[in-house]
Amino acid sequence: MNALVVEDVYKTYGGRPAVNGVSFSVEEGEIFGLIGPNGAGKTTTLRMISTLLRITSGRITVCGHDVATESDAVRKIISYLPEDAGAYKDLTGRAYLKFMAGFFADGGDAEKMVMSGIGIADLGERIDSKVDTYSKGMMRRLLIARAIMPAPKVAILDEVTSGLDVINAFEIRDVIRQIAARGVTVVISSHNMFEVEMLCDRVAMINDGKVVLCGTPGELKGRFEASNLEEVFVKAVKK
Amino acid sequence: MNHLLNIIRKELRELMTVGSIVSVLIMVFIFLGAGTMMNEQGDSITTPSEIGFIDGDGGPWSDRTVEILVAVYMDTYGLSEEEARGFVKVIEVALDDNAVVVERMQSLGIDAAIAVGPGYSADLDNKVRATISEYYIFTNPGLLGSAGSSMTSLMIGEISNRISKELVFDIIGPDDAAFMLNPIKGTDAHTYMNGEMHAGVRPLDISMGIMNQTLMVPVVIMMVIMMIGSIVISSMGNEKENKTLETLLTMPVGRTAIVTGKILSAAIVGLVYGLLYMVGMMFYSKGMTNIGGLGGSSPADLGLALGPADWLIVGAMVFLAIFCALGMCMILGAFAKNYKAAQTMTVPISVLAIIPMLINMFASWGSLPTAVQVPLFIIPFTHPMMVMQNLMFGNTSVVLAGLVYLALFAMLTIFITVKVYKSDILLTGIGQTKLARAFARKKI
Ligand SMILES: Nc1ncnc2c1ncn2[C@@H]1O[C@H](COP(=O)(O)OP(=O)(O)O)[C@@H](O)[C@H]1O
Ligand SMILES: [Mg+2]
Repeated sequence: MNALVVEDVYKTYGGRPAVNGVSFSVEEGEIFGLIGPNGAGKTTTLRMISTLLRITSGRITVCGHDVATESDAVRKIISYLPEDAGAYKDLTGRAYLKFMAGFFADGGDAEKMVMSGIGIADLGERIDSKVDTYSKGMMRRLLIARAIMPAPKVAILDEVTSGLDVINAFEIRDVIRQIAARGVTVVISSHNMFEVEMLCDRVAMINDGKVVLCGTPGELKGRFEASNLEEVFVKAVKK
Repeated sequence: MNHLLNIIRKELRELMTVGSIVSVLIMVFIFLGAGTMMNEQGDSITTPSEIGFIDGDGGPWSDRTVEILVAVYMDTYGLSEEEARGFVKVIEVALDDNAVVVERMQSLGIDAAIAVGPGYSADLDNKVRATISEYYIFTNPGLLGSAGSSMTSLMIGEISNRISKELVFDIIGPDDAAFMLNPIKGTDAHTYMNGEMHAGVRPLDISMGIMNQTLMVPVVIMMVIMMIGSIVISSMGNEKENKTLETLLTMPVGRTAIVTGKILSAAIVGLVYGLLYMVGMMFYSKGMTNIGGLGGSSPADLGLALGPADWLIVGAMVFLAIFCALGMCMILGAFAKNYKAAQTMTVPISVLAIIPMLINMFASWGSLPTAVQVPLFIIPFTHPMMVMQNLMFGNTSVVLAGLVYLALFAMLTIFITVKVYKSDILLTGIGQTKLARAFARKKI
């Protein structure tokens, strides 16, 4: 069964189109990458999937639940990590995880959830420091832990490695692979084609609010006789 | 309910930061300090201070004047003769050299003296009006530094009265003298108010008394509204900047719980801070009352005291006004893209809080023209600021209308806030107009 189905979705901001008829679907347990240049409409698409923005037209379902009409049900099974997100700066990492876990579970279950979050974040004793003392990499680990700890069916991560150094980005990609191995469907967006190629089972290339190509990295490279996805993208857009 | 508690707990944790608590406590201490200082200054008026009598005459009348001065001290401050004499320092020195006069006053440690020159006794004997002069050393430039001098002027008036009594006494005997010099008894004031005649008070006493009791309420309300307003709007700006709001909105929790949680916790903080301010202000106004002449009549003595039901109304109004303020802040904050933008959004709230406060300090509701009453009524913060006065004066219809208006206003702001939280605006800002779009493009 498809974990996520996006069907002919449009989004306009005050009459100006940002997403222009996007369709794709993601299978359960897949790591799916939405790639394209800045301003292509990736964030807008992910926000619509995450019930944050109204869909101008079209339909999105997450595990069979319509995002527009069953947003409460959808929110229970997704986790969304916005691009460049932060946490409440006066809270410690632990308090932040506790607060977020409170929306999914009570008592002992919530505690278990926090413990698993602390494990994923892997911040050592710094988990008890205030988050405004965290480095960018630590913050990202905390936020990924928060997104993963409630065991969502679908994790939606917007530009999850942007702005991180090589080591941190590498580790985060590793965490994402582990998540997917546990059966969580992961949708990421990125403008870094190499990263997506390394990480994703399937990708959709998006430009000017439209899906230009969709398939596995190998498939696409073969079709365009290209050595990497960047080449594929350039060839596809020029065509 | 559970989610609501979760949100409130987190919000309180964020709002009650060390910084904000310290700033509130500093405010309270400033009030406490100012109040205590005024208390001390006020006390200095009602406790006797030493006075000099510079005798440049040396005649019989200057001796009698010293005796009169002692008697005035005894009567005014309820002192024994011996004690009173201790306060009156006689300085025998000619008045023609200021340096000597000052030096003698300083060596005795007094900063106020009355003085009679040569010919004082002769003038009085010859039925020529005699002169008493005043000498001061300016030492205390505080708010009430002039208290000593006003007391001294009063002394001179009293001395004149008593000398005239003695002069008349010599001619017509004690009983007639007492009557003739003061044939009319102290006035007997009656003031009609709220269907009742109050004896022994004048309108000025009443308004002074009420002012003393109610003046701090508008100030405290204004301060609380401005403070929690800026806290809430800044927190919204922070949430947007850090995308924590975006994250929160994808949690399985209703928009209403998020909005209510934010408003409720800020309202709790506002009430706590308000109470703290109130305590500080109470000390401050006690200090003010202690300054002679500002006392007025206490509203309780005039049957104007508020009953439990009245206090309930006052409390409800304060809470509702805070609620309205927070609702408005949440709506304004929704449009703020980041922390900085949020800061400027607090301006309209501050203006709306300052206007009714100022008007309230200088005028009462009944004395305002309709053209002012209408806009004032529309500003929700007006109502808790004037409710105490209106309850005291029995303007029940204004109070009840205000209560209903505030309740409706609070519901409307919540309704609009939830609506805004359900729309795209929260994430996109005002992106629906051409102007905003042009603006947004420029920024990118
Ligand atoms: N709040 C907004 N108001 C108006 N236009 C917007 C807004 N947010 C994004 N856009 C526009 O929508 C398009 C897609 O943006 P976005 O989804 O953020 O792209 P990406 O995430 O792929 O970089 C861009 O042209 C952007 O300028
Ligand atoms: Mg983006």
